[in-house]
Amino acid sequence: MALVPEETRLQALASLNMLDTPREERFDRLVRLTRKMFDVPTAVVSLIDEDRWWVKAEAGLDGITEVPRTQSMCTHAVDTDAALVVTDPAHDDRFRDNPFVTAPDGVRFYAGEPLHTPGGVAVGALCIVDTKPRELTEAQLEILRALADFVETELARTDEIDRAGELQRNLLPRKTPNLPGYQVAGVCLPASAVGGDFYDWHAVGDEFQLVLADVMGKGIPAALIGAGVRSLMRGASRFNDLETAVNRVANAIEPDLTETSTFVTMLAARLDPRTGMLTYVDAGHGIAGIVTHQGKAEQFDSDGLPLGAPAWEPWRAEQVQLEPGDTLVALSDGALDLFETIDEAREAIRETIVAARDPQEVVDIVATYSKDHHATDDVTCVVIKRNES
Amino acid sequence: MQINVTEPRDGVAVLRLDGRLNMVSAAQLKQAVTDTVDGGCARVVVDLAAVTFMDSSGLGALIAGLKKARQEGGDLRITGVTQQVATVLALTNLDRVLQSHDSVEGALHGW
Repeated sequence: MALVPEETRLQALASLNMLDTPREERFDRLVRLTRKMFDVPTAVVSLIDEDRWWVKAEAGLDGITEVPRTQSMCTHAVDTDAALVVTDPAHDDRFRDNPFVTAPDGVRFYAGEPLHTPGGVAVGALCIVDTKPRELTEAQLEILRALADFVETELARTDEIDRAGELQRNLLPRKTPNLPGYQVAGVCLPASAVGGDFYDWHAVGDEFQLVLADVMGKGIPAALIGAGVRSLMRGASRFNDLETAVNRVANAIEPDLTETSTFVTMLAARLDPRTGMLTYVDAGHGIAGIVTHQGKAEQFDSDGLPLGAPAWEPWRAEQVQLEPGDTLVALSDGALDLFETIDEAREAIRETIVAARDPQEVVDIVATYSKDHHATDDVTCVVIKRNES
Repeated sequence: MQINVTEPRDGVAVLRLDGRLNMVSAAQLKQAVTDTVDGGCARVVVDLAAVTFMDSSGLGALIAGLKKARQEGGDLRITGVTQQVATVLALTNLDRVLQSHDSVEGALHGW
């Protein structure tokens, strides 16, 4: 692998988002395995930051988390981007004064393999250390390299999932829409880095369209399906009324949902801002409705099935009037899991809406509540309020 | 989760589930239904009486099983629906397509 300028190396290291993260079992088990395979007292996975050697996982290092880079032996493996084997560091000019070597019961054997980012930049090392001098055969060195490959896979996994999560967040609406006479707010909190919930809003002609969907399951598989549904809805909505759009999307995605044995619950709604007339299709979504200006909750009562349900029935649009002071709210079922019963959840959201200043405060409360109660499913909430006239 | 599959009797197999039907065990249930249907028995009753909790992944496995059974000209019926399971079903309106019966005998009736 080619050596890169230090600045590039540090950028590659930063993009892993690994520095100063807590210990993780997936790395801990690899250092435990490495230590056992080589029958050494110590094995370490570390990263070389600008001026420090930072420990991600260790077995036999007594909980050391970092030391200055100048004291690190691993940095030599990273600097040269090559395996480093030191069979007698006490008599090696590079290491004879190293505090790990001069310490009582100091290092008498070191072997380190560089760890690379997915782009091939050396940013850390997997090393084994002994207090007795020893040799390493060619075959053993190959095993150490193979173990380093496993560690690299784990480093890359975090990187890719975080990037997927970032991309997914970018697919959510980032701006509050310009909708005179209304206030709109939304939040989507995946339970892990990526999730199966999403919401989307945009203008369709003179109308405002909102979509909130929950793909069964969690994580990357659900996120992939969700991104597909979002794009299809955007495409189909441009030239079709809402009912037609939903039916066409359901048709188009049905084979994919059957193939992956999943289904999607969705609320799609279109608001005519001049009249407050709300047209909506409820595809098994279940948790949407209006809290009226008098504080009364009116749950949408629909028997529409989720997309991908094992029966084919056309989805029908319903209409409801959003009066001045009325609030539309839609939640994904992740929020319901935080309550004993659905009725309790509905009452909690009704009370929140009645008490809150504006939709933004409602979604902020939902977000805080979900985090405080360690929601295990994705939680999404969208609120639209028609201003008092 | 434990899945106990009875030998098909009168062309109907009964799957008794015990435990939590979630993302982890959903794959197990899907496989069990697939094996049963591919084994020539497309009429399946899933007994949920001992299911302590079901999430949307579990519901997904039931729906996948239902599709599989119907593809082969059969059906999948459920029994022993607890309050929690009923809530998950009702929320998605899928209680309309996933037929629930009071007992295994009730589910067998009419097949």
